[in-house]
Amino acid sequence: MQIYLPIAEMSVNLFFLVGIGAAVGFLSGLFGVGGGFLLTPLLIFSGVPTSVAVASVTGQVVAASTSGALSHYRRGGIDMHLAMYLVLSGIIGAFGGVATFDLLRDAGQLDLVIAVGFLVLLGFIGVLMLIESTRALLKRRSGIVVRERLPNQHNWIHGLPMRVRFKKSKLYISVLPVLIIGLFIGFVGSLLGIGGGFIMVPALVYLLRVPGNVVIGTSLLQVVAMMAATTILHAVQSQSVDIMLAFSLMVGGVAGAQFGASAGKQLRGDQLRGLLALLVLAVAIRFGLTLVLAPADAFSMVVSGTGAGS
Amino acid sequence: MTWRRWLGALALLGGLATPALGDRLLSTMSNDEIEITSSFDGEKMTFFGSIAPDAGAEQKFVDGPFQVIVVVLGPTADRTARQMTHNFGIWLNTDQVTFRKFPSYFHVLASDRLADITDITTLTTQFILPESHTLVPNNAGWWKTAVFGRQLVRLMTEQGLFGVNESGVNFLSDNTYSARLTLPSNAPPGPYIALTYVFKDGAIIARKSEGFAVRKLGFERFLALASVQQPLLYGVVCVILALFTGWLGGVLFKR
Repeated sequence: MQIYLPIAEMSVNLFFLVGIGAAVGFLSGLFGVGGGFLLTPLLIFSGVPTSVAVASVTGQVVAASTSGALSHYRRGGIDMHLAMYLVLSGIIGAFGGVATFDLLRDAGQLDLVIAVGFLVLLGFIGVLMLIESTRALLKRRSGIVVRERLPNQHNWIHGLPMRVRFKKSKLYISVLPVLIIGLFIGFVGSLLGIGGGFIMVPALVYLLRVPGNVVIGTSLLQVVAMMAATTILHAVQSQSVDIMLAFSLMVGGVAGAQFGASAGKQLRGDQLRGLLALLVLAVAIRFGLTLVLAPADAFSMVVSGTGAGS
Repeated sequence: MTWRRWLGALALLGGLATPALGDRLLSTMSNDEIEITSSFDGEKMTFFGSIAPDAGAEQKFVDGPFQVIVVVLGPTADRTARQMTHNFGIWLNTDQVTFRKFPSYFHVLASDRLADITDITTLTTQFILPESHTLVPNNAGWWKTAVFGRQLVRLMTEQGLFGVNESGVNFLSDNTYSARLTLPSNAPPGPYIALTYVFKDGAIIARKSEGFAVRKLGFERFLALASVQQPLLYGVVCVILALFTGWLGGVLFKR
């Protein structure tokens, strides 16, 4: 069944959209990530204009993270104080990201920057995750008990000024790294159309030493709030949010995530992280190839104005 | 030779000002409005016409053979063609030319090979050839304009937005014809013009233009308008919809 997307101005098979929404939702439920980093590339590779894909996926990420954030909230798994700092700086970062997005789109370099951004970000995170999970797997196999990092092990970041006490996370740290993480994820997330959960979680765990019981919940709340703000920013500034596209993806994604979450319980944490690392690397490599391989067509075209004025 | 061609074109234009050559064109089409709804997947259109003696003319029959060209022209927009080149090991867009008021849709239906119907000058000056739309002055310089223009026409053709069908017009009798056109699902919404030219011995003897509209209807129209006229509200509704869908999913599946 074909469905017409009013903003993308193209006709797409509805089952295809719900299908990729469900498939990505399944993976996001399985690994506990938002799924934007898979969905945006999939849409771009299937012919949706890059700007529409990025802006619409931000809407989908909100939906995908909402139920998770709610259940963590009920369980008390969110540090609201920490989340507030992250959300505020994230929204400021998103302003910068959306403005940059517009500038790049007009200059014809949006696709390039998105490809490079995905390559660098996913390649970096993917390699780190792969190393970490392989180590954990090897250690477990050799019978050595892996000692969890203790939350009171400090590093240089904890020595910065402007310290604030985050009661729930049992942390007394500088707000500077918190704000910088928020800004960075807000900027990158709105530019690439990803929630940034897979950057946020490691940053909270390894840089700030946030305890495990509030990491996921806080990160999810931050993703919901920041992506909601980004969706509105994209709607106002680039006007490329396709509500039909976003809704089709949401429906598939929300359903798929539930099955993914129950499937995730069958696998161990280090195995999951290893698989996610491979997936992340695969997407990074795919983007890398579009940059280095000769394009099928060196020429491309784009509508650059309505032609009504001047 | 060029000046001669231009003279020819001028003479032709002069001739066009007085098309009363004894014959006229009566034509109609199957739809004057194409509605884009959620299930829009392209639409077929048919153009009919007949060539008849002018009203009040002494001659009661027309003398063929005639050739007919139907040009369907969609809404215009500024369109930029970009070229990727290989720099420092990666491919990136390095050059671009913008064509102002370039048609977003352009299809030519003809009863015969265009080159057999009339000469290249007429085809170009009447904007019957797709390439003629790129031959307008552009501040990028004529060479780049020509190179990028050709590529732009090729890209538009690959997307089904441009095309020339030299067997698209069928004569049902000596003086009546029908032409069929399938508007693709990616046909841009807006005002369209169907220009019909009747040729005899390489010269235009009658012409007629008719307009039709491709427009989004109902919910699709509402959404497209809302995203432009009320972008803030549109964004907020989008977010509420997302939050609601996410919440509902959580409730339904008891996560």
